[in-house]
Amino acid sequence: MSKIIESHNLSKVYNPDTIPVCAVDGVNLAVDEGEFTALVGPSGSGKTTLLNLIGGLDYPTGGEVKIDGVDITHISENKLIDFRLRNIGFVFQAYNLIPVLTASENVEFVMLLQKKSKREREQRAEELLIEVGLKDKLNKRPSELSGGQQQRVAVARALASKPRFILADEPTANLDSKSTENLLEIMAKLNKEDKMTFIFSTHDQRVIDKARRVVTLVDGKIVSDTKQ
Amino acid sequence: MLFKIAWRNIWRNRTRSLVVIASVAVGLFAGMFMMAFFAGMAKQEIDSTVETQLSHLQFHNPLFIDDKDVNYPIYKGPAIIDRLKKDNNVKAVSGRIITTGMISSSSTASGVEIHGIVPADEKAVSSISQDMVEGAYFTGAKKNEIVIGKKLSEKLGVKLHNKIVLTFQSKTGDLTAGSFRIAGIFRSRNSSFDETTVFTRFDDLAGILGTGNDIHEIAVILKDGQKVEQVTKMYQKEYPSLLVQTWKELSPQMALLTGIMDQVMYIVIGIILLALMFGIINTMLMAVLERQREFGMLMAIGMDKPRVFFMILLESVMLTCAGIPAGILFTIITVGSLSRHGIDMSAFSQALSQFGFSNIIYPDLQRSTFLPVTLMTAFTAVLSAIYPAIKALRFKPAEAIHKI
Repeated sequence: MSKIIESHNLSKVYNPDTIPVCAVDGVNLAVDEGEFTALVGPSGSGKTTLLNLIGGLDYPTGGEVKIDGVDITHISENKLIDFRLRNIGFVFQAYNLIPVLTASENVEFVMLLQKKSKREREQRAEELLIEVGLKDKLNKRPSELSGGQQQRVAVARALASKPRFILADEPTANLDSKSTENLLEIMAKLNKEDKMTFIFSTHDQRVIDKARRVVTLVDGKIVSDTKQ
Repeated sequence: MLFKIAWRNIWRNRTRSLVVIASVAVGLFAGMFMMAFFAGMAKQEIDSTVETQLSHLQFHNPLFIDDKDVNYPIYKGPAIIDRLKKDNNVKAVSGRIITTGMISSSSTASGVEIHGIVPADEKAVSSISQDMVEGAYFTGAKKNEIVIGKKLSEKLGVKLHNKIVLTFQSKTGDLTAGSFRIAGIFRSRNSSFDETTVFTRFDDLAGILGTGNDIHEIAVILKDGQKVEQVTKMYQKEYPSLLVQTWKELSPQMALLTGIMDQVMYIVIGIILLALMFGIINTMLMAVLERQREFGMLMAIGMDKPRVFFMILLESVMLTCAGIPAGILFTIITVGSLSRHGIDMSAFSQALSQFGFSNIIYPDLQRSTFLPVTLMTAFTAVLSAIYPAIKALRFKPAEAIHKI
């Protein structure tokens, strides 16, 4: 398996000039293609910060992150946006869909940014929404969908750009048991069948149980890294 | 899809969007109304001055114009009047003798410009005959009748049919005087004109001055006022020894007034649009800050900054595009009605009259004003969206995503 993500001595200090808070402290992490990895740890342990750094949503104060060998910690903000568009899929805790677009349009949107043709966009959006079990919700807006359904649209959107991996920040935090179960099944299926790499932060034991690798963070440091 | 998102976004908060649309409409209306109001005011002032004092063009002896010496009449004046009456461009012609002198009542005296006119001809070039508030405009056959302004009558303390004395220098340079009876009192829109100008019959004044058939001023009204420059140039060539001037040349302050009106108008519109700009900035800023998490997400999933900027600008443009037709429609209805019925400014009549303006202002909505005001409003709206758009670009995706 080739390494998709590598971080070396990765650090992030907030408020370095006033009251420094070290959210991520010298993290060395490597993620192989096809992994299904959970980042766990108590609140404030640095899970979300680490995901942000790996995902190129934020710049570290020390160390580096390489995605497929490309150091993303030293590229400009504009290039980083384009890099994210082409390489990384995101699933957020609060779904974060575009409220004025339908489920299908939300999925298409990422492909629009990639300048894909209308036909290709529509076809892939439909395929993805069918894959996540929302065949009959294509033209529903987020406000007409349940939390679980919205998160499934978010997963479809994350997949739409054909990313190298998907980062999910507490994807099940706002979902009920059934929706959580459903979402996990979809993510596990995508991982198994399509070899899609997933890295997610979570508190949820059911999610942790599904993960094949569990990385535990405490005070910004990796305290354990186990495969199960 | 960006258009679709922008369009749907503006209807997410219907009330706020309607407020912006209303602001644009009101801003546009205010701009157009001010332009129409000032244009109407200037047009009325010009029309009034042309009708009461200047006419479209005038002929003078170049030497007369400086100190109004009666010894400088227009050479072959009566022949020129006959020539003008045959010109198809000319609607009316009036020959005048003019001198300056003192008008005296039993209690006081005042300096005036005395116009000796042929009433039938003068009626066709001047509106003074329609501005009579007492008496009549030379209807009787009596000699030495005079028509004076209301303000002058008040200043002199005289009434209709009272006698007054005009004192002036005759053609021979002697001081001479004539007694005149007030046949009529007029009140034009220009109170200073009313205070300083009096009218007598041509023959009565010529008799006392000893000027015979001499004419000092020929006033011409054209059928088409727009041709004034063209016709004036023609007569300047035909009578090179005479001073043939348009109303703009005769009264540079009047031409200046229209220029100043334009400047004032644009300053006022600028102030209105500035207020509109702050309103839109405020609203758009609220819309952007409210959607901070959304912008964070858009940038996180790969929407680049130019697209984010363009989307916010697009929302502002769409709101403007909705507001502009509403503003134009509202302007056409209201200003159209006001231009027919006028705006009563009686509360400021004294001040307006001193500057020669009417109490009733008829806004003059010209088609040519629509485009510049619309463009200025649209430009303002787009400009107003720039700051909120820049604000959105400064969001850090990692922070913005977690904003509530």
